[in-house]
Amino acid sequence: MSAVSTLQGRLGEFDEKRLLLLAMFVPFTLFFVLVWGVPIGYALGMSLFSDPTGAAEFAFLGNYVDVLTSELFGTALWNSIVYALSSTVLSLVLGLGLALVVNRKIKGGNALRTMMIFPYLLPTLVVIFMWTFLLDPNVGAVNQFLLDYGVIQEPLAFFSSTTWAMPAAIVASVWKYGSFAFFILLARLQAIDPNLYERARVEGASTWQAFRDITIPNLRGAILIIILVRGIWMFNKFDIIYLATRGGPLDATTTLPIMVYELAFLGSPDFGGATALAGIMFLLLAAVAVVYFWAFKPEQEVTT
Amino acid sequence: MLGLGEGAAGKFVSQRTQEQVRRVTVILTALLVAIFVSIPVYVMIAIAFQPSVTTFRGGQVNLLFDSFTFDNFVLLFTETGTPRYLFNSFVVTASSTLLATALSVAAGYGLTRFEFRGKTMAARAVLFAYMFSPIVLAIPLYVIFFSLGMLDSYFALTLALTGISAPFGIWLMWQYFQTVPIALEESAWIRGASRTRTLWEVVLPVARPGTIATAIFSFSVAWNDFTMARVVMSQQEMYPITVGASLFLDRVSIGWSETMAAAVLMSLPPFAIALFLQNYLLQGFNVGGLE
Repeated sequence: MSAVSTLQGRLGEFDEKRLLLLAMFVPFTLFFVLVWGVPIGYALGMSLFSDPTGAAEFAFLGNYVDVLTSELFGTALWNSIVYALSSTVLSLVLGLGLALVVNRKIKGGNALRTMMIFPYLLPTLVVIFMWTFLLDPNVGAVNQFLLDYGVIQEPLAFFSSTTWAMPAAIVASVWKYGSFAFFILLARLQAIDPNLYERARVEGASTWQAFRDITIPNLRGAILIIILVRGIWMFNKFDIIYLATRGGPLDATTTLPIMVYELAFLGSPDFGGATALAGIMFLLLAAVAVVYFWAFKPEQEVTT
Repeated sequence: MLGLGEGAAGKFVSQRTQEQVRRVTVILTALLVAIFVSIPVYVMIAIAFQPSVTTFRGGQVNLLFDSFTFDNFVLLFTETGTPRYLFNSFVVTASSTLLATALSVAAGYGLTRFEFRGKTMAARAVLFAYMFSPIVLAIPLYVIFFSLGMLDSYFALTLALTGISAPFGIWLMWQYFQTVPIALEESAWIRGASRTRTLWEVVLPVARPGTIATAIFSFSVAWNDFTMARVVMSQQEMYPITVGASLFLDRVSIGWSETMAAAVLMSLPPFAIALFLQNYLLQGFNVGGLE
């Protein structure tokens, strides 16, 4: 009797479990195939044809050769690296500094934390409005400040100067994304056992020694993740630069994502070139992802 | 002996000095960051709520809040496409938040509770998508939507936005469900509840904080998005506010005052989240934030 009912129960559960499984994975699979698999496959396919949206002709790697040998590619790659590296490192430094401060439970620490959420959530466009205004040569507060203190003699048009456009874009980016590093590092800092510091103090360790031997080792993983993930995102960042400078003046802030957009939508559309460049960026990302998966094994489940 | 004593005293003094140096550094850093973060926000608010004649009086920029007005907002709503842009933003944000959250909760639960072959691959696909570049995805999506005649539709933009927000949502929910002990579900099963009923009455309520965090991240991706909307929407009446307002800077008839008023409008939802839902958001950062 009871054996039968458990059997029935099991069978019933089994069917229901199958249904549930379907309900969970059909949308998941459908989504990934439709929104990721198909477009990426489609793009990689397109990249092998010249003029893929018009009179398509198989060109094999022709588009790749064209893109890689174009004059702009070297500039764009270099700009991407400069932009990604400096904005990532600067926001890491800012985030780390502030996380250490807030972790000391100073007065107003919570207010500071709330304040830091805000830039991160603001639409990029708003951030660009703010910084375009602040750095404006005629009405901008930064220019007024620098002129008043005699640092500069003439107002600087930051976003339209070949020298200053990139640093200005980096400042706006750090302003927006500094809090990403801050929140991750703060969470990690708060997880460190305070007894460790107490013991180090008792044993006569200086603040610096405690920082070096307790804080840094505990943060190492988080710092590496931030550099990796934030670095990839900044390398692929399109909107902040496009809105600030459109990649100009000249090509001073043209990064690879801007170049993709220009190839696809500016002047006569070249979807072959654009998708080839997208393919190159895809391969770059895949290479970094392999390193990431190999070094961190992030897909491993927490065992609790 | 004497040397040793001196050394100890020296160390003592240096620890006190260190403490003082540290205090000053801490306060200074906090102050500098507070100024760096708040000045742009203050400038935006001041310009948006001041009459432009006050802001730009006498060739100097005046940001001291001499007078207060809603005129800039009124002009924004009567003279520009802002109402339409806002409406579009609301539609695509709401639909893609719903879609991404539902997808994330279902997939997150499935990935946690069911063992199957290729699970590692699924995890890596999710993480890979999470790191992916929106613009690289936008190009083929544009071509596909173009050939299907689906450009300029809410559906296309909703799908594209969900494409960038769902991978992190799935990841977040997956991590979250791992912290929910399976014992809760098991005890419900023992009391005779079906799996489906357990899901609705036990699992989902327990997972609410994670679900809210996922919804917040999906919301902010959709609300902040510029890239996808720029590519997928080409007719002005389909622009969300981010794309619509980005044209303000090039228009002579729209000055800084109205531009900043638009910025304030766009900042309201993020501001509300920061104020009322920050704890859920911080939970999301424990498993990595979002682009």
